[in-house]
Amino acid sequence: MSNGPPIIQVSGLKKSITNAARTVKILQGIDLSIPRGQFVAIMGPSGSGKSTLLGLLAGLDSPTEGSILLDGEEISGLAEDQLAVVRGRKIGFVFQSYHLISTLTALENVLLPLELAGESNGMRRALELLDRVGLAGRSDHYPIQLSGGEQQRVALARAFMVRPPILMADEPTGNLDSANGQHVLELLLELNRTEGATLLLVTHDATLAGHADRIVRLRDGLIVGDDLRG
Amino acid sequence: MADVFTWNSARKIAWREARAASTRFLFVVAAVALGVGALTGVRGFSQSFRTMLLRDARKLMAADLTVRVFELPTPEQNSVMASLEQAGVARTAITETVSMLSTRASGNPVLVSIKAVDPAVYPFYGELKLAPPAPLPQALQADAVAASDDLFVRLDLKVGDRVKLGASEFRIAAAVAVEPDRMAGSLNVGPRVLMSRQGLERAELIVEGSRAAQRFLFRVPAEAPGIEQVRKKLKEAFPEGQIVDYRETHPLITRGLDRATRFLSLVSLIALVVGALGVAMAMHSHLQQKMDSIAVMKCVGARSGQIMGIYTLQTLMLGLLGGVAGIIVGLGVERAFPSLIARYFHFDPGIHWDTGSAVQGLAIGLLTTLLFTLPPLMGIRRVRPSLILRRDMEDARPAWRERLRHGKASISVAGLILGGMLGIVWWLSDSLQTGLYFAGGFLASVLILLVIAAGMLAGLRRLTRRVQQALPATVRHGIANIYRPGNQASALLVALGVGVMFTLTIYLLQTSVLAQLAASAPPDMPNVFLINITPKERDGIANLLKQHAGGDPEVVPVIAARIVSIDGKSVEDLLPKGLNRRFLRTRSVTWRARLPAQTEVIEGAFWQPDHQAARKGALFCASEEAARVLVARPGARFEWVAGNKRFHARLACIYRSEAVRMGSNLEFLFNPGALEGLPTLHYAAARMKPSAVARLQRAVFERFPTVTVINAADVLAIVQEVVDQIALVVRFISFFAILAGAIILASSVAGTRFRRIREVVILKTLGATRGRIAGIFSIEFLILGGAAGILGSVLATVFSLLVLKRLFQVDYRFDPWPHLVSIAATAAVANAAGWLASHRILAQKPLEALRESL
Repeated sequence: MSNGPPIIQVSGLKKSITNAARTVKILQGIDLSIPRGQFVAIMGPSGSGKSTLLGLLAGLDSPTEGSILLDGEEISGLAEDQLAVVRGRKIGFVFQSYHLISTLTALENVLLPLELAGESNGMRRALELLDRVGLAGRSDHYPIQLSGGEQQRVALARAFMVRPPILMADEPTGNLDSANGQHVLELLLELNRTEGATLLLVTHDATLAGHADRIVRLRDGLIVGDDLRG
Repeated sequence: MADVFTWNSARKIAWREARAASTRFLFVVAAVALGVGALTGVRGFSQSFRTMLLRDARKLMAADLTVRVFELPTPEQNSVMASLEQAGVARTAITETVSMLSTRASGNPVLVSIKAVDPAVYPFYGELKLAPPAPLPQALQADAVAASDDLFVRLDLKVGDRVKLGASEFRIAAAVAVEPDRMAGSLNVGPRVLMSRQGLERAELIVEGSRAAQRFLFRVPAEAPGIEQVRKKLKEAFPEGQIVDYRETHPLITRGLDRATRFLSLVSLIALVVGALGVAMAMHSHLQQKMDSIAVMKCVGARSGQIMGIYTLQTLMLGLLGGVAGIIVGLGVERAFPSLIARYFHFDPGIHWDTGSAVQGLAIGLLTTLLFTLPPLMGIRRVRPSLILRRDMEDARPAWRERLRHGKASISVAGLILGGMLGIVWWLSDSLQTGLYFAGGFLASVLILLVIAAGMLAGLRRLTRRVQQALPATVRHGIANIYRPGNQASALLVALGVGVMFTLTIYLLQTSVLAQLAASAPPDMPNVFLINITPKERDGIANLLKQHAGGDPEVVPVIAARIVSIDGKSVEDLLPKGLNRRFLRTRSVTWRARLPAQTEVIEGAFWQPDHQAARKGALFCASEEAARVLVARPGARFEWVAGNKRFHARLACIYRSEAVRMGSNLEFLFNPGALEGLPTLHYAAARMKPSAVARLQRAVFERFPTVTVINAADVLAIVQEVVDQIALVVRFISFFAILAGAIILASSVAGTRFRRIREVVILKTLGATRGRIAGIFSIEFLILGGAAGILGSVLATVFSLLVLKRLFQVDYRFDPWPHLVSIAATAAVANAAGWLASHRILAQKPLEALRESL
């Protein structure tokens, strides 16, 4: 873990959604600082705002109030396409429902972030990553031809493809049985170790969170606990 | 469970679901509306037109009854008409012919169509309007004429100017603003010149033997003999005359209208079928998304039949909505029609609500929609309740063996669709044969198109695989999107391809038929024709032609003669139907001492040059075609009538001519002397440089003003104008098919909306900009549209080639431009339609969409 400036610096972060009838306050003022290389687990009951926080940190939506510094860059006021570029460069994402592109093969899905960044020499790394997640032989298979666990492993390879400094994972094992879930988690931690990324993991699962350096707990859009461990 | 599941519940569920999928279904409704609209528009217009023809029949004929003949009446015919007049039936004569007209200033004579009337009584019904307004008898003095607007424009005329027409000069008294019986007239080439009968005499245009059309108009007052009786008497007096009375619509016009209606109805039906394909595709993707709901419904006890009921109701609701919207579109189409055909029928038949066409359109719309939705509806039976436990397999296609097992059901459904189509076409065209052709042609076309489309898609995929890394990522992703589950690219290609094929075929035929005909004409084929040459003018014209065209000009004597009987049998009984009945009318015949060049006798023998008709009897030879139609062999004895003379002649030979010269192309050649004493006119023809024709026209007009010089290029231009007009109407209707295809594309894109949203947010999450995503989508739409354009273009080429070869015997010359433009335009239309349905997807915030499935 480095002692330099934090890779994520959040202050006064609020997010509300206004329906026709009423305004729902999802995040009510979050202040959070995450040093480079830290593994942070974000926990909390359903509706506590975990996924929204993760989404805002990744620039997937704009906050109602507050600021987010990502690797020293203020992203809360950026336009959508600028956010896309930031994401492509700095963030790897793993979703609960894998979210692979159904019209692309496993290899093409892994190559995608690099291609979107305008680079074309990623074949070797993509194959190597697929090999590391144990899918070297399935590179030309379409998502539909892969099991849930396999799809999530492709998603892991895709997330690490551009060597992002930050990796965000939202319930990455939520849709998997325990054996597959365990396998994916091990791969995630192993890859994170070798790639040296900052890992933000949203989870309900205390065992999963047990691997983290720090556990941040949310309730009703506020941080109610922040434990730095061992 | 079945007890509580009533039709009422089915209706409620169907309505709720349709409301939830409103965007996609909006496209479906639009596609059906286009097809129904084209159909009801065409048929509604036709019905309005027919109603108008009947209602205004007297005005359109300017009389109660008319007789049209192509010869001056004989004394006997005149006396029959005179006796009718005595009985109280009013009569007036109209002479229609073509001639040359020029101004002193321009010098270049123009071909005009002359109509000479008796201004004191014409028209019996309706009103002839002049501009500036003036009573007809006052305007049409013996030295004055009225002309249509186009003549004013062409010769830069104004009212009061003087023009030379035939042998005399005339003053332009007014412009013809409305001519009630323009449609009933004949020889409508070139601008109209209206004159009095005295004027016609002054112009000296009609001499004995002239082929002018005489139209006699009759008004039958109540106190006179009944119209049926008058008609009967006239029929006896004018056996070859065309007799029409106000109780029937003009046979030529109604026949044309019937054919046009039938043809355009079938073109509209194609648009409707394309629309129905859209409904089927939308229903298919809708049901794909509803698999879970269907499985759940089955889990809680709903039977397949009940669920099919829900979706059948939904289909019917869509068909009904589309049909009703289509009827409104149809009113627009009906309104657009008069302006499309304004050049020939310059009046507004008005918009009449035609319940028959509307109900027919609605019924056909509903039926077609239902027929084409049968396959996806039948698929409901195959949804197993266990599906909810195996969601991941939602997109998987069953193996081909599995699909083959469902083959039986599919074949029955296909049979039902074809049977339905057959019935619909039978209904629309009143002909089982047309129905069979259409249904068969439809099946063959769709199968061929599907095979080609599937082949193109597979080929494209293989090609992309091969050059994968060489392609930019955006292009690769765009291409990959085409194969997205639920995209139904083949069906889309077929739908759009059919529209392109139809529109492009019409265009190719329109532009190439006449051009090819002109281009493939033999180099020595005459391009200038001179008609109405009297025997006195013959030598002068021959000399003039020699000066201007060089060589040995061909001046052929022509006599108007009609066959009465063959070997004692009336020719009326020998020729019962169709085109062959032209042999009942007066034909142009000529005489020859020797067999013309490039002509071969195939049966019998040509006469000796010194054959004396007076002693040995008249002989004639007939062309192969004429002999075939008349079923005559050499030796047959024909009775002819020419002018007032009846005579007999024996068929000496049957010939086949390869010649392009006019004189050799006549159907009947007599031996010299056989036609002696009959009123003769000469025709001449020459081949000359197009640029020299005007000079010849001027020279002929100066010395022989009653001789008409016809430039083939002008005639071709007139024919082209007619062809263009027809093509415009067909294109207008076939454009609906393209539009329906585009809407289907939009509907298919809307149908894959959820998948697209998911992909957009994943791509955005992974760092794709909106520009990049827009690029990927555009590539997908452009390739689909381009492929449909190529498909339609290839098939249009094949069709045009076949039609040109088979029907017109001319070669097809490939011009890449129309094809390139079609492909580019189809791609553009597809791109626009695709974006119409997906532009909102691009603005989607990633987190909102991810929330639902994170």
